[in-house]
Amino acid sequence: MFAADADDSASALVDGNPADLRTAIARTVEILRASRQPLLMSAGTDVAGMRALIELAERCGGILDHVNRDAMFRNLNVLRTTGWISTTLTEIRNRADLLVVAGTDITRHLPRFFERCYADHDTLFETGGRELWFLGDMPADLPEALRRRTTSLPVDPSRLAELFSALRVLFAGRPLGGDNIAGIPVARLSGLLQRMRDARYGVLAWAAADLTFAHADLAVQSMCEFVNDLNTRSRFAVLALGGGDADQTAQQVTTWQTGFPVCIDFSGGVPAQRAIEPGQCDALVFVSALDAGRIPQATGMPSIVLGRAGMQAGRCSVFIPVSVPGLHHSGHLYRADNVVALHMRKLSGSALPSAAQALQRVLDALKDPR
Amino acid sequence: MIKLGGARVYDPAHGIDGKVCDLFVHDGRMAAAPAAGTPIDGEYDLTGRIVMAGAIDLHTHIGGGKVNIARAMLPEDHRDSAFARTDLTRSGSGIAAPSTFAAGYRYAEMGYTACFEPAMLPANARQAHMEMGDTPIIDKGGYAMLGNDDFLLRLMAGGAGQRVINDYVAWTLHATQCIAIKVVNPGGISAFKFNARHLDVDDPHPHYRVTPRAILKTLTRALHELSIPHPLHVHASNLGVPGNVESTLATIDAAEGLPIHLTHVQFHSYGTDGERKFSSAAARIAEAIDRHAGVSADVGQIMFGQTVTASGDTMAQHRNSGHAHPNKWLCMDIECDAGCGVVPFRYRDGNFVNALQWTIGLELFLRVKDPWRVFLTTDHPNGAPFTSYPHLIRLLMDKGFRNEKLAQIHPDAAAHSQLASLEREYSLYEIAIMTRAAPARSLGLSDRGHLGIGAAADITVYRDHSDREKMFQAPEYVFKDGELVARDGRIVKVVRGATHVVRPEFDRGIEKRLRDYFDRYHTMRFGNFPISTDELIECGSREALVHPCARPRQ
Repeated sequence: MFAADADDSASALVDGNPADLRTAIARTVEILRASRQPLLMSAGTDVAGMRALIELAERCGGILDHVNRDAMFRNLNVLRTTGWISTTLTEIRNRADLLVVAGTDITRHLPRFFERCYADHDTLFETGGRELWFLGDMPADLPEALRRRTTSLPVDPSRLAELFSALRVLFAGRPLGGDNIAGIPVARLSGLLQRMRDARYGVLAWAAADLTFAHADLAVQSMCEFVNDLNTRSRFAVLALGGGDADQTAQQVTTWQTGFPVCIDFSGGVPAQRAIEPGQCDALVFVSALDAGRIPQATGMPSIVLGRAGMQAGRCSVFIPVSVPGLHHSGHLYRADNVVALHMRKLSGSALPSAAQALQRVLDALKDPR
Repeated sequence: MIKLGGARVYDPAHGIDGKVCDLFVHDGRMAAAPAAGTPIDGEYDLTGRIVMAGAIDLHTHIGGGKVNIARAMLPEDHRDSAFARTDLTRSGSGIAAPSTFAAGYRYAEMGYTACFEPAMLPANARQAHMEMGDTPIIDKGGYAMLGNDDFLLRLMAGGAGQRVINDYVAWTLHATQCIAIKVVNPGGISAFKFNARHLDVDDPHPHYRVTPRAILKTLTRALHELSIPHPLHVHASNLGVPGNVESTLATIDAAEGLPIHLTHVQFHSYGTDGERKFSSAAARIAEAIDRHAGVSADVGQIMFGQTVTASGDTMAQHRNSGHAHPNKWLCMDIECDAGCGVVPFRYRDGNFVNALQWTIGLELFLRVKDPWRVFLTTDHPNGAPFTSYPHLIRLLMDKGFRNEKLAQIHPDAAAHSQLASLEREYSLYEIAIMTRAAPARSLGLSDRGHLGIGAAADITVYRDHSDREKMFQAPEYVFKDGELVARDGRIVKVVRGATHVVRPEFDRGIEKRLRDYFDRYHTMRFGNFPISTDELIECGSREALVHPCARPRQ
């Protein structure tokens, strides 16, 4: 994600033609001034970029959103109705003796997760022979040493809610109707329950982005409720991952600045959370400073793209190449566990503006009288 | 040069108790009366007005991961309270868990000019500083949490000497850009990770075998030997548990005569008398505070209504999760550092326990004799949102009003309480002590909390209103570093606040030990952990204001 590709010579584009930054900002301001309600979409930027994007959304009375909104709400809906008992990476590294991964390809989200957090490295506490369970597919790239301690239960992720509801029933010592739940024999389910009850410090992990079936928040909810049950007598915690594209960074900043996590309608300058109606927005500001491959979907609206240099943004009214946090400029990004903010130091310079700087220039220009 | 003429001044740091005088401000500082003929750029006729230094809240959860979790968890707190941007101010929302802009504006409108986030996990310090960087106008500071971190507990279990621990404490203050050290349920947050549900002051930790008493003793001594102005800021063991008065008294004892600050002591002043086995132990706690000159406390008053509790004390928050209202809650183990728990809560005047908690807080305010050692807090938002301070001040200043409210609570709680027999009414001078002079002195802010020449011109001007709630709700003028920022409870100028820090000297040799620890056990590199001053500015602070490490005069 942070390969060196500083292309200082990358030029802004206005209607597909090379333009200087001033011209691109001026055209951006024109589009925003003509817009009834713009959509301001983050597809990955740092804290400073989010700060500027929120201010621009507020100023334009726009709607602020993130490309991973649907995945974010799978976890958020549960935080807002149930809550959970969660943990972070250093705790897992030093404490966990059981890891259960539900319907998630965890190394797709955290490529070095097993190596750094769940291997035979030094730990502060006794972790025994660290066991691993997969509910769903076992990843192909699992380290061999871990594979030997791995159990896989082939469950269709869309039936996770059913599976964990059954585990709750078993945990409460109540009888389960039938001898098969979500395709798993109850005897095997009881084995999983036993293992989870016996763990000294167990962790149940999922990535909301991988739970792509209908009503996935119900699966998240039943997992959280089951872990709450376990904690009445032992310790267990969840690791609720999101979906990348700095969605947690976006959510953290919008939450502290506005009180709302994502999909915020600033009509009248007042933040509110409400569903976006089709056709409600008539201009797009799209920010993707981390991943040149994250491009906006074609919308037909006039669109302004602030993208990592090298991005082939497709048809857009304005393209402004921006520098990359942690490569060309320092910036803050949240780690996947959503607690630790990392200060990414710059490795090399760039003549390109950061997303925050480019957005600040738009904000400054909007202040000028027409 | 600005002149504030003819006001009644309450400046307890200088013994000024309602004297009518002129004040002068120059370049953001309090200045001496200028020589005749010096041009005055602005003049405020404050005849009949009451002037105090800007207020200081030394314990308010305004930033950091748990506060943001509380925001995310409570859309109902934000839906109906959202407000629009203006040409001057940003939009925001929230009452129990206000957005950062909302917190900064509301505090400034109430005449507060500095607030301290009392529970900053070192692993989460960046987030706390970023949130505080987005909290406008007021100055901020943080207390770094130690005492549940595996590094310290390992040092203690391994018999490390006090000097090594002092170096670690000092390093932590530098690395996190903090002004003080807080301990939350000493050892208990860590013990909860080992499935312990209870840890009293003399119980050994289930893994390290270190007791909370030893942690308290070691940390109080470290701060004393490093000459950190603010004493160890202690959230004691057994929060909320009936009978916890014994743990609180044992906590005072554990300091062995060194200074110690007991935070939200209302939640730690419970007995087990009566048929409900829940009673006020405020008299015993107040007596202990009076008797130990090195002990100070903030109250953590509760107010009736909806709020949210956000705490580092996972053990207590998990224990109390059954009381969550609405019924949702979160606990988190964090980075072998500490943890956090968020539990929404509605305090009801018709509930015996809540009603008695309300009387216990007020009793503590009224029973502790020395206003220099008891500070006005609701442990925002845990006891109530900070916006209830004006109401609380009226309860303290107006006995008739207090007794009127006492008559409205659960009758058994009122009958069990001795509150009605307490005649004391706080004076304006005493309010100025507990909200300005005393917190500034306790934190070592030599140029804040008073109006002497050279002090920062953080000034609050009130209309004298017999309804003290009205008076303290919306000061007529609030100046921050000499600039008028609020008028009649409305923001008129937005400035950026600074961050108060201390930077004690220490032996950098500790860094080798820390580097080894991070390399072996952590998921972050040691070099990426500390926050530099440049980064603090990037987080949003105006500047770091470094206060000397020297014990404040008592």
